[in-house]
Amino acid sequence: MEVAEVTTFLAGTTPFDQLDHAQLASLAGNISVYYCQNGETVQLSAERLMIVRTGIFALYSDQQTLLTKLEEGDFYGYQLLLTGLSDNDKLVCEEDGLVYWLSADAFHQLRYQYKNIDIFFQRLFSRRLHQYKAQQQNSRFTLKISDIVQARKIAISGEHSVQQAAALMTEKRVSSLLVEQHERLVGIITDRDLRSRVLAADLPAQTAVKQVMTAKPHTIDKHAYLFEAVQLMSRHNVHHLPVLDKQQSYSMITATDIIRSQQDHPVYLIGEIHRQTSVDGLEHCASQVSSLALTLGKQQVPAHEAGHIITTITDALTQRLITLAQLELGPPPCVFSWLAFGSQGRMDQSLNADQDNALLLEKEPVGEVAAYFAALADFVCQGLARCGIILCPGNIMASNSALRLSLKGWSGQFAKWVTSPTPEALLKSSIFFDLRVIEGSKGLFNALQQDILARTTDNALFLYHLAQTALQRTAPLSFLRNFILEHDGKQKKGLDLKKRGISLITDIVRVYALSAGISEINTRQRLVQLANKGIMDSKDTQNLSDAFDVLAQLRWDKHQHDLIQGHDVSNLLDPNVLSGLQRHQLKDSLTVINDAQSSLKHRFCRDL
Amino acid sequence: MLAWLSNKTAPLSHIVQTFNQTALPAGGVRAADCPFLVIDLELTGLNAKQDHIVSLGWLPVRQHEIVLAEARHYLVHSPVSVGQSAVFHGLHDRDFDKALDLAEVLTELLQQYAGYIFVAHHCQLDCRFLEVASQRIFGKAAKFSFIDTLNIELYRLQKQGIVMKKDALRLPQCLSRHKLPQSNQHHALADAYSCALLLLSQLKHSHADITLADLQLQSR
Repeated sequence: MEVAEVTTFLAGTTPFDQLDHAQLASLAGNISVYYCQNGETVQLSAERLMIVRTGIFALYSDQQTLLTKLEEGDFYGYQLLLTGLSDNDKLVCEEDGLVYWLSADAFHQLRYQYKNIDIFFQRLFSRRLHQYKAQQQNSRFTLKISDIVQARKIAISGEHSVQQAAALMTEKRVSSLLVEQHERLVGIITDRDLRSRVLAADLPAQTAVKQVMTAKPHTIDKHAYLFEAVQLMSRHNVHHLPVLDKQQSYSMITATDIIRSQQDHPVYLIGEIHRQTSVDGLEHCASQVSSLALTLGKQQVPAHEAGHIITTITDALTQRLITLAQLELGPPPCVFSWLAFGSQGRMDQSLNADQDNALLLEKEPVGEVAAYFAALADFVCQGLARCGIILCPGNIMASNSALRLSLKGWSGQFAKWVTSPTPEALLKSSIFFDLRVIEGSKGLFNALQQDILARTTDNALFLYHLAQTALQRTAPLSFLRNFILEHDGKQKKGLDLKKRGISLITDIVRVYALSAGISEINTRQRLVQLANKGIMDSKDTQNLSDAFDVLAQLRWDKHQHDLIQGHDVSNLLDPNVLSGLQRHQLKDSLTVINDAQSSLKHRFCRDL
Repeated sequence: MLAWLSNKTAPLSHIVQTFNQTALPAGGVRAADCPFLVIDLELTGLNAKQDHIVSLGWLPVRQHEIVLAEARHYLVHSPVSVGQSAVFHGLHDRDFDKALDLAEVLTELLQQYAGYIFVAHHCQLDCRFLEVASQRIFGKAAKFSFIDTLNIELYRLQKQGIVMKKDALRLPQCLSRHKLPQSNQHHALADAYSCALLLLSQLKHSHADITLADLQLQSR
């Protein structure tokens, strides 16, 4: 006899949501319901699994540090049930709530019956983020044969003559044929075979196909991965592979098919960009970025690699625009460096990034120098805007005369930020500290970067203020029931993955990097350097890097989804669309940010 | 189990007698240590002499835990049509194909839960109907020891000096005051479950060592 309130709740809770009604009712029959009061320590036992129905429960390690908070739909006690080993964690009720206790017998039976439920709890058990990630990577796969080859069986029997084979190949415009005997694949014949085994061997046109074909060819299943076809071809030095579907001939895949399938590969696009002679042409190239993004998504390219690829394309567009500008304006009057800040600087650009760039000049921007670079910057910024990289709303662009400075000018500007930091100024200027040279003189750029790092390294006052800035926003792991949702201009609700997630990590890592004079700009590389140099604990950098990957992946997936739906690409994520596992990952990532913020505060905001 | 059906020579009243003679927990026992049976009836009307029980739902609470394995919900054959009361509990005559005789249901109740403290929200009505039914079926009225979550709630609110609005003591209002999940009302088991949740919350918000006698006093 079921209590509807209980079965309804279970039906909406991962991983039980895959059970049917009768299974849920029988599950509920193994549950006891307990009311837990604020301040009460939950008595855990090896006999049962805890399911949080309502209320909030705080989990503390044996060192009394807060590990996480459990809310509606969360579980506890699975570690003891799965391993028989007790950790010394302590679970304290923070807000009155109801707990369902599921008997150990029922729990084990459920795991035994449903592989997915077993996997769910095993994954929860490996709570560490990079273990989540390992699971994620296992599921990544690249394109399959069936994604690029259509059912197109062009076959001939072995009894036909090579002349007939050649006629069929010509008619069908193919370079090879499947050879079948009684509906079974027995070999293949290619135009190369006709040349080397027939003409060169001086055989007559009436020679039977079966005499000159390649018998028992290597084949590949239509469900195999594309890279398997590539491997087969290069291992056996062949260019044609019959594709089978359930052991029956289905089609043929050729080396050319494979090359053609890779044509929206970024390498091709970047090559195209550098061949363009007009802004119109560049605009056309840039219009392919979203289809490239979809291909990358389909190939399960991880988010950080995709960010790198997209940045590389923006770099190529910028470089080409600078070249085109010089063709129009003539050679520059002095050496310069085109700088990128923010996400382009860090090489983790997303599809909706805006422009953040500037010019570093060998000479003071006066007279002819000023006029030339004003025109060049205008050309490039407007060109980038036409290529879909929108003008910076904060006017952080080379087309702004305040951002076209000599080395002395920039050095003075950074000196002002570093020596008399104010929170307001730093909030606006922190992205300037993530800078990279895109085009022009590397030497000029290096001089500026060394100058900046010399100012920031071990500069307690500056680091104090920069850390304060990094702490202004917190990760919305609400101590309340759900994620805090934000509204964008269009009144869509969601969690801003950039503002309340990715940027927080970028900000934290920047403080450490500048404190230690690390010249890396990319957040993941900064973390590697910080761990190598012993500036941060390697476990903490690993956690931050994992959290960064999880958030970047969620954003990348969200952008893909927006593209497919034909929406504007947005960083607002509705947490309700997440799977149970993703929700746990997101919560864990936000917890990592909270922890990292307190460490940051402890490290840089203590003595002042 | 249904020995009374075959053994017609034994007086049916022995079921009630055994029930009535089973010792209840003493008043000084901690309420947390008492076995409770939370019960709800759906009725065709309010008069125990004329009206009938349509369905029963119950679940036990032991050591602060609602034991869902023992949750029961029974529709019973009614000697008259469900009629107008269907408006409230949503049960129609056609639903009673799977119904049991009230005698069977009451036998299970009395045999399984002798020695339990019965609990209901606004218990007089449920208590009265159960007494009348056992008198009719077994020739002897069962004596139930009921506590009433409605009266306990009234006591709590008065003690806190809270001004009560109309309907403040109805079950849904009590559930939201205690931040407990709401259920589909007028289903005997769903209501019994809600009442059991309310009891758990009331017990937790009382003095930790509250005795059964104290609870009975509040419930009066």
